[in-house]
Amino acid sequence: MGRPPLRSVLRRVAAGVVVLWVAATTAYLALLAAPGDTVDTLIGDGVDTPQIRADIIAEWGLDRPAVVQYLDYLWRLVHGDLGRSYLLQRPVAEVIGEQLAPTLILSVAAATLGVLLALIIAVVTAGDRRPWLRRLSSGTELLLVSTPSFLIGLVLLSVLSFRFGLFPVAGGADLRALVLPTITLALPIAGLLAQVLRDGVDRALDEPFVLTARSRGLTERVVLARHALRHALLPAVTLAGWLFGTLLGGAVIIEQVFGRPGLGQVTLNAVTSKDMPVVLAVVTLSAAVYVVVNTAADLVSLVIDPRLRRS
Amino acid sequence: MLARRLSALAIPILLLAAGCSTTATTAPAGAAGQPRSGGTLTWAIETEPLTLNPHQYAQAKARLLVWNSFESLLTYDDQGALVPWLATGWQASADGLTYTLTLRDGVTFTDGTPFDAEAVKANFDKLREQGYAPGVAAVQLRNLKGVEVVDPRTVRLVLTAPDVLILDFLASPQGAQVSPKSLREAANLKAGGLDVVGTGPFILDRYVPGQELHYKRNPAYDWAPPTADHTGPAHLDGITYRFLKESAVRIGALTSGQVQLVEGVPATDVPLIDGNPQLRLIRELNSGSAFSYYFNVSRPPFDDLRVRQAFREAVDVPTLLTSVYRDTATRAWSLVSPASPFYDKRLEASYGGDAAKANSLLDQAGWTQRDAEGYRVKDGSRLTVRLFQSAPFVRDRRDVLAQAVQAAVKQSAGIDLKVSLVDQGTAQEAFDNNSYEVFENSRADTDAGAALNLLLHSGGGINRIQVNDPGIDKLLEQGQASADLAERARIYAELQQLVVAEQALVLPLYAPADQIAASTTVGGVRFEPTAGVPASAYDLWIGK
Repeated sequence: MGRPPLRSVLRRVAAGVVVLWVAATTAYLALLAAPGDTVDTLIGDGVDTPQIRADIIAEWGLDRPAVVQYLDYLWRLVHGDLGRSYLLQRPVAEVIGEQLAPTLILSVAAATLGVLLALIIAVVTAGDRRPWLRRLSSGTELLLVSTPSFLIGLVLLSVLSFRFGLFPVAGGADLRALVLPTITLALPIAGLLAQVLRDGVDRALDEPFVLTARSRGLTERVVLARHALRHALLPAVTLAGWLFGTLLGGAVIIEQVFGRPGLGQVTLNAVTSKDMPVVLAVVTLSAAVYVVVNTAADLVSLVIDPRLRRS
Repeated sequence: MLARRLSALAIPILLLAAGCSTTATTAPAGAAGQPRSGGTLTWAIETEPLTLNPHQYAQAKARLLVWNSFESLLTYDDQGALVPWLATGWQASADGLTYTLTLRDGVTFTDGTPFDAEAVKANFDKLREQGYAPGVAAVQLRNLKGVEVVDPRTVRLVLTAPDVLILDFLASPQGAQVSPKSLREAANLKAGGLDVVGTGPFILDRYVPGQELHYKRNPAYDWAPPTADHTGPAHLDGITYRFLKESAVRIGALTSGQVQLVEGVPATDVPLIDGNPQLRLIRELNSGSAFSYYFNVSRPPFDDLRVRQAFREAVDVPTLLTSVYRDTATRAWSLVSPASPFYDKRLEASYGGDAAKANSLLDQAGWTQRDAEGYRVKDGSRLTVRLFQSAPFVRDRRDVLAQAVQAAVKQSAGIDLKVSLVDQGTAQEAFDNNSYEVFENSRADTDAGAALNLLLHSGGGINRIQVNDPGIDKLLEQGQASADLAERARIYAELQQLVVAEQALVLPLYAPADQIAASTTVGGVRFEPTAGVPASAYDLWIGK
């Protein structure tokens, strides 16, 4: 029983690299299969003559077979060269690098707020203590999960920014400018996580170990926080991957509404304009983060649940 | 002397009265008082430019940024005539093959490089370099043979064929003068940035992609064009352009005082501005070509003149424009914008909106049967025409307008207009396969002749409807070769009669316009003469 830990880590890393490669390749094939090509993108709705087409093809080496372009891309990727954006005419590493920080800050802030809210809501409304509060909370959560974040953002802006002037509509550096986007992004996350957590807490409260805990004379608060909640965290932690997807997807909308810099708009523009080097870089980066997040989630599960450590 | 001087006021006033219907270029003085120096403003704009290098310019929505830090050799006044800017004058040889430009003295790029004939030559040479600006090299500079430095203050452009549009190029963003040092050393020349500089009244000193651009005043600036409201350095210390794509957010930011100016005000938000005494709204028609549907004549059913005419008669344009844009849109009668000196006013009220005529034309053309859904049928096939809209380029609610046209032609004439909102690749595929019947387009060229060349010449770069008519080609070539504006106006009027009235190749819908909403404390809010897009920040100032 029990593999050497080094081998297990190596296996994990190797699996991660495979995931990255599959992600990049799938994205490449998807863009290749989509109608139109890079030349169409660069010409857009502008002037289109054979001479212009020939110039663009020559500039980007698009006359090479797709396989050669793909292998060339992989080769450069391995050497840390992400290439140049067709559309923005700048190195992809630069395009993504300068947008990484704002996205990261927003994601971390929103995830933190979302998880905190969910924890509080779950603990306060779990069990049968306050049925009216539970109903109210559960209805609100459903509403938040089902409302497009576009709408949440506009409503928050209209009230808190345009009417009362509490927060600025846009701006990256100012901390006040972070508040509304964070809330907008965090609310749907809080809504869904709260449902999952409360469900878990409810089920845990019916378990025999809670009865044991209560019989040891522990207060209800300690039973909830130390035992039931811990039990309920497991299914919530497995949602980490979903959380990451929500953050990235939500960022597209949030950045558009709030005029924020970030990876969301970069991704959207790159996909709609078939800016292959940027799309591939974003997909690879997302896959990397996804692998890291899921690995972290597995580790956290080990911490939360001692039973997993033995298997 | 072989060369002759082009008059700066070459367009007869009569022609303007007949052809021009632009509104006043400068907003009324309002509450702002007298111009004064100092302060900073924030302007919320809809579009983040894809590039900050003017040579690579392709977005009319980014034009207001270009002239902050870059300038061209010539510019247009509000009469549509060319006037000096970085060039003090120009002479064309009698054969139209040589243009000699004299350059302004004492101008420096903001990196300290002097502006002289060598700099102008460096710009042209760069523009014609393989892979740098393929669109410019293949269209605007198609007839340019070479550029000669006569002396430090004089350059000569030598052409292979007479091409008066070279002057339009000299007044365009792509013809803006970039410091030769930037051309040599910039890290990402085609993307532009802080290290790609010009001679303008402002200096770009901050770019946060996805968020904003900031310009600071160029204190050494002293070469404003004659079209500006003042001379010397700009009034403002600096200006921030913030990218806010959502119109509701732009308007909210304006009404709550977080920004002082916005551009791009949709019809639905106009009442919000009009109802607020602290704000005012001005609008101006763009130059170039009107937003129009072009009929693909290379395949049925639009190879038949009667079907083209019928489609046009089946649409009651004013009703559609009112339902989609309330009363903010200006109807177009020609594919040339009513703001252009080449606009042919005779086309007004000469066609359209007659459903009975549409039906009788279709009957004559043999589309006499109707199927179960009410569409016309001939030889067992339905009268279907397809319009592909490329989603990334749809603006001004043109998708909604297309639906309105679709309903109108179905109801009044039994024509089946299939509208597909697709990605650029799919639209391109339809063009490549010639599997479309309607093509929609508007262009913002300052010289409408440039747009007409692209759209209607048999070898034109946007001739999507595959017009191949020697008569049209000849008129276009004459219009490009003639240096006399009155003569050009006559040629383009004849062309419009041919294309719009006789051949019904096009259904003009509306004249694109730009709007600026601004706080009444901001003075000098204006549009760029002729182009009709928001002007640079040079004349802006903050009142009390």
